[in-house]
Amino acid sequence: MSSRARRTGSVGQLLTRAFSVLFVLIVIAGAAGITATEVQVRSVRELDDHVFPMRLANAELRAVMTDAQRALRGYLLTADTRFMESYDAAVQDFPGLADRLDDLVLTLSESTAVVTQVDRAEAWWALADQQRLVPPRSDQAVEYAEQGKNLFDAYLVENDALDDTMAARAEHLGRRAERLRTTTEASLTALTVLAALLALTAGLYTRRKITRPLDRLVRVLGELTGGKLNARVRRPDGPAEVRAVSEAVNVFATEIERNRRDEQEMARLRQSARELGITVRTHLNEDELLAEAGSGLGRMLGAEHVVIRLTGGRSARWCTRGAEGLCDRLAAADAGWLLDTAVQGSVWSVEDVRGGAGPEVPEEERRGFRDAHASGVFSVVFGNGTERLGVVTLLVAGDAPPWSLGEIRMAESVVADLGHGLTQARIYQAEQEVVSRLQEIDDVKTDFMSTVSHELRTPLTSIAGYLEMLVDEDPGPLNEAQTKMLAVISRNTSRLRGLIEDLLILSRIEAGTFRAGRDTVDLAWLISGVQAVVTPAADRAGIALTVRAEGDLRLDADSDQIDRVLSNLLSNALKFTPTGGAVSLTARREDDQAVVEVSDTGMGIPAGEQDQLFNRFFRASNANHLAVPGTGMGLAITHAIVRNHGGTITATSVENTGTTFTVRLPVLS
Amino acid sequence: MTAVLIADDDADIRDLVAFKLEQVGYDVIAVEDGQSALEAARRNQPALAVLDVSMPGLSGIDVCRMLRADETTQGMLIVMLTARVQEQDIEGGFGAGADDYVTKPFSPRELVSRIQSLLTRSRA
Repeated sequence: MSSRARRTGSVGQLLTRAFSVLFVLIVIAGAAGITATEVQVRSVRELDDHVFPMRLANAELRAVMTDAQRALRGYLLTADTRFMESYDAAVQDFPGLADRLDDLVLTLSESTAVVTQVDRAEAWWALADQQRLVPPRSDQAVEYAEQGKNLFDAYLVENDALDDTMAARAEHLGRRAERLRTTTEASLTALTVLAALLALTAGLYTRRKITRPLDRLVRVLGELTGGKLNARVRRPDGPAEVRAVSEAVNVFATEIERNRRDEQEMARLRQSARELGITVRTHLNEDELLAEAGSGLGRMLGAEHVVIRLTGGRSARWCTRGAEGLCDRLAAADAGWLLDTAVQGSVWSVEDVRGGAGPEVPEEERRGFRDAHASGVFSVVFGNGTERLGVVTLLVAGDAPPWSLGEIRMAESVVADLGHGLTQARIYQAEQEVVSRLQEIDDVKTDFMSTVSHELRTPLTSIAGYLEMLVDEDPGPLNEAQTKMLAVISRNTSRLRGLIEDLLILSRIEAGTFRAGRDTVDLAWLISGVQAVVTPAADRAGIALTVRAEGDLRLDADSDQIDRVLSNLLSNALKFTPTGGAVSLTARREDDQAVVEVSDTGMGIPAGEQDQLFNRFFRASNANHLAVPGTGMGLAITHAIVRNHGGTITATSVENTGTTFTVRLPVLS
Repeated sequence: MTAVLIADDDADIRDLVAFKLEQVGYDVIAVEDGQSALEAARRNQPALAVLDVSMPGLSGIDVCRMLRADETTQGMLIVMLTARVQEQDIEGGFGAGADDYVTKPFSPRELVSRIQSLLTRSRA
């Protein structure tokens, strides 16, 4: 606060000062006016009550005296007694008028003047009383008249003197009143101008001292409400009240800004907790998950050490500032005391640990906290469902501020996610192990099949090769019995060979190895190819073969495999149909399926054996009985291929009448 | 006389092929592994080599590739003999430069006629 500002005082003081001056000015002006008026009133009153009546009485007295003197002179000159009537009337009036004049006297000089005048008058009256007694128009009368004239003139002089005095007095009063009026007008004007100037000055001063700081305050408030939280009243000035309000606004703004910062910090925390939660929930490797959770929690909450201890003794840790040894010791400390007693999700802060509100903390762990100079510790037990998986302990050391409740809540939510994430990672890892084990088994199987087929083929090659040489009579001629026996060996050798081939194919199809070779395949085109291959055989066997394909029969399929299906079904039908029989293949479109039916008029399959039709090595008893060659693998392979293509195969058969196989395959979408 | 090399670790098959080839008049060199096959091929310069794919040490495909890489033997006719029928095996055989590919079990008669036709064609 500046010294200038301090001098300003309060709004009240300012206003009081300004109004006091105005009040004094008004009072002075009023008093001056009243005084002036009073003086005037007095002057007027003196004129009315004293000066004018004095002059009037003086004049009346003079008139009475003049009447008396004129009447007396008239009598003496004319001896007319009527004059004496006027004289007598004057004699009657004089004492009253003389008394009235005397009554009006105020000052000594006036009194002296009146007394002198009355004396002179009475002097005349005395002579007049003698005059009236002398005979009119006598010499004595003339003499008296001469004397009387002198006395009367003396009286007139006094009378005139008083009148002059009173006239002068009247003039003086008039002048004084006039002067006072002028002075009053001038001073009132001056006072009014002064008051006006003072009011103006006070207004301007007030505006400068009050309105400007208030304006600044209003601007700052506007900025604050507009969201500019760093706005402040830079140098609070003006009257004390405005300064107080400005300072209050500054404090308020600082508070709001701090709140906003806290909120932002909280929002940041929430965001990182959410991100960390997602990371923790979605990580699928247990070790990486624990490392991620530890470092994430540590960074998020500014913890020195984060130790995650799992049930079963495993632990993970995250430390800053090379305190690994200490961290290791904490990580190695048994958390059983927490896991056994604590409810999942419950939190212990270091206060609980010290205050004994939570479970008893083992000395080993207490020592760990002390060694780490922990200023704040809290542990959260986590798990999945009712299963407790472990406990996370966060530790902050030194002067670092302890965690806020909000931060602890964030940590809890992340730790809860850790429980789910850990379970999921474990399940995933277990699944991965199962998958890789299955993969291994499958690889072994494939490898085994390949090895077996190779190992079987090598001796078979020798058997078949030497057999061929014998049959070709390379070493020498054969007799009939030998030829028959060699034919049996030959037939069984090729059966064995077919069996090995079929086994290998079936194992590959079942392993799904062939799935990669899919392409757009026109079933009608494949059918015509197969037809061309089997027609000579049908002709040789004397079987009527009819083939018909209709509609759009394009598939997304492995053409070699579908070819094998068609070949297998047709060659089976021909194989089991006697001379003179009939085999037909029809293919048509039904909705989004291609339907292939292969019918024969062959020996059929005994009803009791039909459910085994697609099993490996299945041979119908009647086929075996008639020694129809075959490995019992064809339909198993066919079935596997159709299934691999998302299709179905069914058979209806009546023994000794015929069999119909129906294959349904999804068409190209 | 035209010399033909037969390399197979199975003595029975080696003898069988040798017998059939000698029967039709070829001079047969029979060896039992890849390394011997390679040496015999370089030394004796046979017109044709029949190589079993699965042999201890160098496989038939290895030998085939080496023969093709060698100037002195790169024109030699090569027939691969294998128990494997998987497509990638066959492609591997041709990729290594074999002229023909015969799967076990094979007919000795057919093998000999294929060899004869290869040799006749190359001579023509």
